[in-house]
Amino acid sequence: MTASASRPDRFKVFRAELGRALVALAMALAVAFLIILGTSADPWQAFSTLVTSPLSSNRTIGLWVDDVAKLTLTGIAFSLVFQARQFALGVQGQVYLGGLCATLVAMSPIGTTFAAIPLAIIAAMIAGAAYGFIPGYAKARFGASEIVSSLMLNYIAILVVNYMVRAHLAPPNTGQLMTARFPETAVFPAIIPGTRFDLGIVIALVTVAIVWFALYRTAWGLKLRLVGHNPRFAEYAGIKANFIMVSAMTAAGAVGGLLGAVFVQGRAFGQLAIDFDGNLAFEGILVAIVARNRPLAVPFVALAYGYLRQGAQLMGFRSDVPSEMIAVVQALVILLVASSFTLPGRRFIARLLGRGEADPSTAAGGSR
Amino acid sequence: MPPLLQAESITRIYPGGTVANDGVSLSVGAGEIHAVVGENGAGKSTLMKILFGLEQPDAGQLRLEGKPIAFANPREAIDAGIGMVFQHFSLVPSFTVYENVALGSEPRSGIRFDREKAIAQVRALSDQFKLRVDPLARVSNLPVGQQQRVEILKALYRDARILILDEPTAVLAPQEVEELFVAIRALVAQGRTVIFIAHKLPEVLAISDRITVMRAGRTVGEVATSEVTEKELATLMVGREVSLGVERSQSDGGRACEIDTVSIQSEAGVSLATDLSLNVYAGEVVGLVGVEGNGQAELLEAVAGLRSVTSGEIRLKGENIVPLGVLDRRGRGVASIPEDRLAEGLAPGATVAENLVATRLGDPRFVRRGVLDLKAIRANAIALIDRFSIRVGGPAFAVGTLSGGNMQKVVVARELAEQPELLLVNQPTRGVDLGATQFIWASITRARDAGAAVLLSSADLSELLALSDRLVVFYRGRIVAAFINSGDLSAETLGAFMLGLETQDETTMKAALR
Ligand SMILES: Nc1ncnc2c1ncn2[C@@H]1O[C@H](COP(=O)(O)OP(=O)(O)OP(=O)(O)O)[C@@H](O)[C@H]1O
Ligand SMILES: [Mg+2]
Repeated sequence: MTASASRPDRFKVFRAELGRALVALAMALAVAFLIILGTSADPWQAFSTLVTSPLSSNRTIGLWVDDVAKLTLTGIAFSLVFQARQFALGVQGQVYLGGLCATLVAMSPIGTTFAAIPLAIIAAMIAGAAYGFIPGYAKARFGASEIVSSLMLNYIAILVVNYMVRAHLAPPNTGQLMTARFPETAVFPAIIPGTRFDLGIVIALVTVAIVWFALYRTAWGLKLRLVGHNPRFAEYAGIKANFIMVSAMTAAGAVGGLLGAVFVQGRAFGQLAIDFDGNLAFEGILVAIVARNRPLAVPFVALAYGYLRQGAQLMGFRSDVPSEMIAVVQALVILLVASSFTLPGRRFIARLLGRGEADPSTAAGGSR
Repeated sequence: MPPLLQAESITRIYPGGTVANDGVSLSVGAGEIHAVVGENGAGKSTLMKILFGLEQPDAGQLRLEGKPIAFANPREAIDAGIGMVFQHFSLVPSFTVYENVALGSEPRSGIRFDREKAIAQVRALSDQFKLRVDPLARVSNLPVGQQQRVEILKALYRDARILILDEPTAVLAPQEVEELFVAIRALVAQGRTVIFIAHKLPEVLAISDRITVMRAGRTVGEVATSEVTEKELATLMVGREVSLGVERSQSDGGRACEIDTVSIQSEAGVSLATDLSLNVYAGEVVGLVGVEGNGQAELLEAVAGLRSVTSGEIRLKGENIVPLGVLDRRGRGVASIPEDRLAEGLAPGATVAENLVATRLGDPRFVRRGVLDLKAIRANAIALIDRFSIRVGGPAFAVGTLSGGNMQKVVVARELAEQPELLLVNQPTRGVDLGATQFIWASITRARDAGAAVLLSSADLSELLALSDRLVVFYRGRIVAAFINSGDLSAETLGAFMLGLETQDETTMKAALR
C-alpha cells in the first residue's frame, strides 16, 4: 500500500471486510444462543448476561479492556508471522518465557527501583525474541517445520515456567502455585484507579503503531510482505527470504515476550502464576485471521472478540450455563469464524444471503 | 435456427470500477470453432467467465439455443453443457490423470469410487478426441501440454457441448499447438463447439471458422475467417496498422558477457547443461533456440544467479560473477525477465507500485535508512505505467487484478526501468497481445541499441528469428549449432537442429560463436 489518493476503491474494500467481520460476529452470537437454549433453564437471562455483562460495572469494563490489550498483542504477533506466510504458533511459549524473565527482574533488587518496569519489559522481549528465533533458524537452516517446532517449544516453556514457579519462585513451604506479589514499583500503574485499566492497553496500542509502521513504511516490511506473497519472486528479486523469515519470527517473538510482561506486570496479576495465560495467547490466531493480518484492524477485532470472551466468562459465573459449555461455545465460534474466512465458508454464506460470490480481487486488493 | 450460444449487450464492471465488458455481444453457432481476439485487457477472459457462470453480468442477457438463461455459478453452466479450460490450470498435482478427470463426478458402485470404470471412461474419451494421455500417470509428472489435455478431458467428461479455451496455446510449444489443433478439429467433427482465445493471429486464422474481435470492452466486429487477412485482423484489433518488423542491430560493442565452459546440474545431480561456451557482445541479441527443457532456461537462471553452476565461469565485463548473489549481479547491471510472470516475476497480491520497486530496495531514491519513500515509489510507478502503457487503475492496484499482458508489462517495465548491461529474457511475449508484443519487442531492441547485451529464449521461433542477431541451438544440454541471423535462415533449418536431426561442423559453429 503506497498511495494515499486513487486507492482501488478503498471504501468498498473496507465495507466488504467490515461486512465479513460482522457476519462472523452474528454467527458467534447465534451459535452461543443455540447452545444456551439447549443447556440453560433461563436462556434469556443467560444470553443477556453474555451480551451485556461486560458493561455492567467499571470493574467488568476494566476486565474487558485488559483482555483487549492482551488479545491485541497476541493478534499482532500472529499477524506479523502470517504476513510473511510463516505458520509459527509460538506466541504462547514466548508469553511464558517473557513472563518468567519479567518476573526474575521484578523479584530481583531492581524490582524496587524505577527501572523495574522498563527493564522487566526489555528482558521479556529479549527472551521472547530468542524463543521466536529458534524455530525460524531451524527452518532456514534445516528445513524444520515451524508449526511443529514452535508448538514443541510452547510445551517446553509452559512446563519449565510451571516447574520454576512451583519449585523455586513460590514462597517456600506455602504450597502456593504463584509467586509473591511484585513490589508496587514493578507493577503497571492503573490508568483508572481500582480497575485493571492499566499501562497494558497503552503498550498494546503503541505496539500496533510500531508494527504497522514497520510493515508498511519500511523496506524490511515491504520485503516481508513480498516474501509472504510469493517467496519465489522474492528470491528472484534478490530479497534474502530466509533472513526476512527469521527476522519476522524473531520480531513476533519479541511481541510475544512483551505480552508475557504485560500479563505478569499488569494489575490483574502483579505476580507469576502457573498456567497464567488462560489460553488467551492462542486466541491471537483467531484475531489475526479475522483482521486479515492487518495491524490496524487488530485492535478493533480484539475489542469485539474480547467483549464476547468477557461476556462468556461472566455468563459462566452468573448463570446456570455449565462452564464447560463456555469452552464449547468458544471452540465452535473459533471454528465457524475461521472457516468463514476461507473460501468454502464464504461461498456458503454468500449463498445463504443469496448474493454472488465475494470477489477474490477485493481480498487481494487492500492489504492493510 | 438461432445460434447455439449468444451473449447480448453484456456489461461487467469490477468492484474496482474497471469496465471490463461494455455492451459486448457474441454469437456462436453450433459446431463451429469461434475465435475471440483482442488486446490485453479487452475483456475476453471476463466475457468467458460470464459464459461459464464465474462472473455475473451487471447488464445483458445470455441465450442458449435462443432461450434466455443465467448461470449463478459454474455448476449451472456445466449442467447446461458448457466447459472451460483456464489459462492457469486447476488440477491436483498429486492425483493421477483419471482421478483428476473424475474428481467431483466419480462413477460409483455402491458407495465405492469405481476406479476401473473411471479409467475406462477416460481412456475412451482420450481415444475419441485424440487427446493422448495416460490415465494412470500422476499429473505432477506431466508436461504442460498434457496437463492441458487433462483439463479438456475434464470438461468433456462432464459432457461439455461447448468448450471454452482461454489462451490454450500460450503455454504450448509449436508441435504441441499442432496436436491441440488436431484435437479441436476432432471435437467439432463430432458435433462439439469450441470457443477459442488466442493472441497469435496465424494460429487464429489456421483453426477458426469465425472470429469476434474485441477492443476496450466492446465488440468491434465479427468476421468469417475465410474472408479476412492477418493484416486486416490486426488493424481491426488494435485500431491502427501494426507492423512487427524489427531493425537489426547496428552497433558493434565489446564483449559484455562471456559464458565459459559452464555446466549445470539439478539438485538431484542430473546434468542439465554441459560445457556451454558463448559470448554476448554489447548491443546484440543472442537467441537461445531449443525445444523446452534442453538447457536454455537453466542457463538463463544460472546467469541471473538463481541456479548454481557446477563448473565454469560467467564473466560480466571481465569479472567472474559466479560467486555473486542475485542482488550483487543486479547491482552490476543484470536484468531478467523470467519465464513465468506469476510464479516468479511478480507478487500478485502486492500493489503495482510495490512490484515495480521490489528489485531496487537498496536504492537510496526509494529507501532511506530503511524507511520507504512512498512519494518516490508512487512517482516511479506513475512514470513507468505511463512509459510502458500499462493498463491499470493506478499504482495502488494489486498486480493480480491486471490482465495477463499488463502483468507482463509490469515485469518488463521494472527490468527496463534502468538501462541494463546484460538483459536476460525468457518467453517475453507469452499470452501478450499484438500491440504489447510490438511494444515489448521495441523495448528490448531499444535496450539493445542503448548498449545492452541480450540473451533471449523463446518457444516461438518467429520471435527468435525476428529479434536475434545470432542464434545458438541447444540440444540435450549442449550447444549443437550457431548461426548469424541472415535473411535466409528459416524456422525449418533451426527445427532440424533443435530435434538433433542435423549436426553442424565445428568451424561453421566456431565462426558463428565469435
Ligand atoms: N478480478 C478483477 N478485479 C478487477 N479488475 C479486473 C479483474 N479481472 C480483470 N480485471 C480488469 O478487467 C479488464 C479486462 O480483463 P480481462 O482479463 O477480461 O482481459 P483479457 O481480454 O482477457 O486480457 P488478456 O489478453 O491480457 O488476458 C482489465 O482491465 C483487467 O485489469
Ligand atoms: Mg485473459
